[in-house]
Amino acid sequence: MNEARAMATLALFAVGILGGVVLHAFLEKGPAENPFPALPKVDEPPAAHDFVAAVGAEDAQALSKMADISILTDLDAALQPIVDVRSTRFVGAVESEGRLLSAYVVTGKTAQGIDFVVGFVLRVANDQVVGVN
Amino acid sequence: MVGLRRLIGGSAGTLLVGVLAGFVISSAVGVFIQDSGLFGASGESPIAHAYMLGYLQRDPNAIVGIRPNQSIAQRAAELQGADASRATASIQPLSLTYIGGGSVGSYSVHIYAVDLRNAQGVDQFFSFALTVAGGKVIRRE
Repeated sequence: MNEARAMATLALFAVGILGGVVLHAFLEKGPAENPFPALPKVDEPPAAHDFVAAVGAEDAQALSKMADISILTDLDAALQPIVDVRSTRFVGAVESEGRLLSAYVVTGKTAQGIDFVVGFVLRVANDQVVGVN
Repeated sequence: MVGLRRLIGGSAGTLLVGVLAGFVISSAVGVFIQDSGLFGASGESPIAHAYMLGYLQRDPNAIVGIRPNQSIAQRAAELQGADASRATASIQPLSLTYIGGGSVGSYSVHIYAVDLRNAQGVDQFFSFALTVAGGKVIRRE
């Protein structure tokens, strides 16, 4: 009798879970559709790849030869609050009328030693990094 | 009669707890799949997505719940700016592309490319990197 009761309770609970999943599917419509067109992805530009490789290797010497002071200042702002870069990852690039944006995710530690993640985008034109967003 | 009432009450309670558990599990699994990019999901955060749509459609009310709290004066100034912008149709979004993102712990970053035409008819192509934590966009670069 007790076993039957336990089984019935479990079965009822399982039916409840199933009901909850169905209810969620009905109520959760997900994010609104993007009403704007999306651009196709393109390959990572070599100039951006080299630039970010220097960032990932913390190679200030190489970086100083690749970019002027305004780009380095923008890069510094984009990396805040990370002061110790641990990894860089290319996430995608898009192109519009010859203008290329190459996006990266950087993980690292803040000055307080907290793990953090930031994203930045390199603007590339004529096979050169011309800006950091 | 009392026994029957207890049986019905207990059964309803079990069913209700099951429904709640199913709802929460389903929601958590959905968020995990969406954020991780599994099963063909883009990895795009619904919060970041909503923020970008609210921004491009110049609708500050749509994003008020998913960004850090602002003062009443800041919110009023933003609404004023959005109204003026809509009235003059000063910017026209041409495309919105989710490029990708990543996460560390409770922080995630989502990067978008935006192509828009300004009031002077000049096309601008730029990016946004949104940092999301605790259900809000805490930083926009």
